[in-house]
This record gives sequence, structure tokens and C-alpha cells, in this order.
Amino acid sequence: MRHLITATVNGRERELSVKSSQTLLDVLRDDLRLKGTHEGCSVGVCGSCTVLVDGKPVSSCLMLASNAEGRDVLTIESLARDGNLDPVQQAFLDRQAFQCGFCTPGMIMAVKGLLNENPKPDEAEVRDYLSGNICRCGTYVEVMAAIEDLTAKPQ
Amino acid sequence: MRNFDLLEPKTVTEACRMLDDGEDVRPVSGGTALLILVKQGLLRPRTLVNLKKLEGANAITRDEAGAVRIEAMATIHQVETSPVVREHLPVLAAACHQVANIRIRHLATIGGNLAHGDHQSDPPGVLVALDAEVELSGTRGTRAMKLADFLLGTYETALEPGEMVTAVTVPPVRGRLVSDYLKFTTGSSEERPCAGITALVRLEGDRPVEARLAVGAVAARPLLLCETDPTEGALPRMAERASEEIDPIPDLRGSAEYKRHLVRVLGRRALAAAWKEACP
Repeated sequence: MRHLITATVNGRERELSVKSSQTLLDVLRDDLRLKGTHEGCSVGVCGSCTVLVDGKPVSSCLMLASNAEGRDVLTIESLARDGNLDPVQQAFLDRQAFQCGFCTPGMIMAVKGLLNENPKPDEAEVRDYLSGNICRCGTYVEVMAAIEDLTAKPQ
Repeated sequence: MRNFDLLEPKTVTEACRMLDDGEDVRPVSGGTALLILVKQGLLRPRTLVNLKKLEGANAITRDEAGAVRIEAMATIHQVETSPVVREHLPVLAAACHQVANIRIRHLATIGGNLAHGDHQSDPPGVLVALDAEVELSGTRGTRAMKLADFLLGTYETALEPGEMVTAVTVPPVRGRLVSDYLKFTTGSSEERPCAGITALVRLEGDRPVEARLAVGAVAARPLLLCETDPTEGALPRMAERASEEIDPIPDLRGSAEYKRHLVRVLGRRALAAAWKEACP
């Protein structure tokens, strides 16, 4: 069965025909060719597939695509504008907050979600919020440093 | 993922009619539990009924008598951040905050969590401690029952075919509740609970009139112990009783013996913490 839905993806309104059993992740990667969102564990644990829906982080691997109807979806591809990196991307780059980079898009989108909800989180809040984004290379110290750079800056 | 058809009702009546169509039709709300079972091939539904698009199904309200009503499609994150829940049932907000991770809490719903009947979860034990009721709607009408009676075992609930959870309500509290929730995981912090312990002390004026200890995630159903006119000295015995009465499911999170030990230690700690706050 297919469903016709309208959703805003990275600022652009899209009419999409999605299959009943497709997840948002499937549609992003396979139909819209947005390959920045990664599939890691496929069961909502690792955070590699994190995207923002209405500004909030979700595991796109467990969200039925049909439920994106009328929602505003942002992926890692939405961040850089005209060749300029988003401040979160820049902070990750400055701090080398990645090694293999597989978890990085999800990690960055989770940080975007965190800062949407709480622009000045303390360290405990950051750790709590990001506890579900796993980095197998163990770059957590650099990720924390990147976020500290972001939140220490005067707004 | 394995193929299925997704039906998308707009009203509860329509949803119940769709659900009343045999074994391989299942409801889905947040999808964070069910879709994993489908991906792993443990469940092979022909049809899923999407409850996520039901209108107005996620409100959280408190009536004049003080009963808190949470519509089933409220997400775990909405429960944890609801001003009503934070003010009147802080222990529920605290437990919901510890469910999985932020991404799952934005998707998963409280109704889905309860209807799924997975014992390894934080909300059921806390809600049993709070004496919550579930509202069930079906093709034959609406009924309410105690959550403690609704949860029959692992993945087993009192839901009849064509029935769905439409709300969970917590009755008004007489006096004041002081509470503590302790989650213990044997893996990472966002893991499913190995044990989830809720301790409540109810005060009328300054007098503690009741202590409750609920043990979630250890056995197939939450265990609830209540004691009227409790004294501080009686609390360790309550934790001891819980560890004797519980029937732990051994799994990769710990042996039955280990979990019994946890219940004793954490039960004592949670009760002591609630007591200290109730009777400083």
C-alpha cells in the first residue's frame, strides 16, 4: 500500500508517495538520495539516523514515513548554507570531534536538537541528552569540547 | 522492512473497527517497540493500524478533583515535560525522563508503552505505584481497569481484539505524595531497566499514613507492596518482603538471585530517600 504525503524536507515542500512499511530513513536515503543520514543499529539505539522532526531529534529508522505527513524534517544536508558550515559543524571540525565520521551526522543533529530545546545546557544536561548517540571511535571528549565551545560563546 | 499495509484511521471508533479483524492486525503508535519486532521477524503483521494520526489524542489534563488524565498518544517526552505531570506527579516525570533516549522519547507514546506489555520498561511500575487506571476503547464500548490488572505478563495485557488503550489516569492523591524512582541498568545508562523501583510515602498533614514500594522490570508484572501507618524502622522489612515475593526473570541483565538482591538493596534505598524527604 502507498500513501501520498506532503512534508517539508530541508526547507523544501515535497509531495511523496511512500510505502506503508517504509521508515522515514528509507525515504530520505533511498527516495530522496539524502545519504548523510546513516543507518547504524536500525533499532533506535545508536543515534546514527538522528534527524529533526519539527525541531526535535528522532530515530528516523523507527519512524514510519507516513507519519512525516505535515511535518518539518531536517537532515544534516540542511545545515551548510552557500558553502558556509553551520556553527555546530564548524565546532565539530575545529575540535576534530570525529574519527571515522559514521556517527557524526546523527551526533550533530542531536546537538542541534539539544540547542533548540536548551541553548545554554550545562555539562550534565549535555551528557544526559547525548547519552543515546554512540560513537564507536570514542570521540566523546572532543564532542563535549565542541559543545562547550558553542555554549560558552556569547549569544 | 517486511511489507505490511498501514491503515490510518482518524477516530477511535474507526480504529477499533479496523483492529477487530483477526490476529495479524496490530495497532502501532510511536513504532519504537513494534517496528523492531517486525524488523527482527518476530512479528509478521499483514496490517498495522496507525494510531498516531488520531485527532486530539495526546492531551494531558488535571480535573478539579485532582485526577490526572494522559491521553494515550502523548509521547513519553510530552509526559516527562508536562507542567501538570511535573507539578503533581514528579516521580512519573522522573521515570519517563529515564526511558531509552531522547529520540525514542519523542516517538514512543505512553499508551503504546502500556499496551505493548513489555515488563522491561520504566513507566508501568511507576504508574502501578500511583494506582493508575487505563481506559480501553473497543468495538463494544469503553471500560476502565486498574493498570495492575491490565498488565498480565510479558507482552500480555487484558486488551481484547478490537480494543485499544485510549488514556491512562492517575486518581487524586489524598494528602501529599513524596516519591523516589531508582532505575538500575547493567549496561549503558539508556538501557532498559534491570530494575525500576518506585517508593512513595503519602502524608496527611505531617503524618506518614502510607508507604508504597513498586518493583518494575524485574518480573513479568510489577509488584506493589503497601503499608499503612508506616514507621521508618519498618521500611527495610518492606524491601526485604519485596525481594522475597518477587519472581524475577533471569536474563542477560542478571540472574534471578542477582535481581532479588537488587530489589532488596534498591528498595531500601528508594524508601529511605522518600522517607527522608517526607519526614526530614
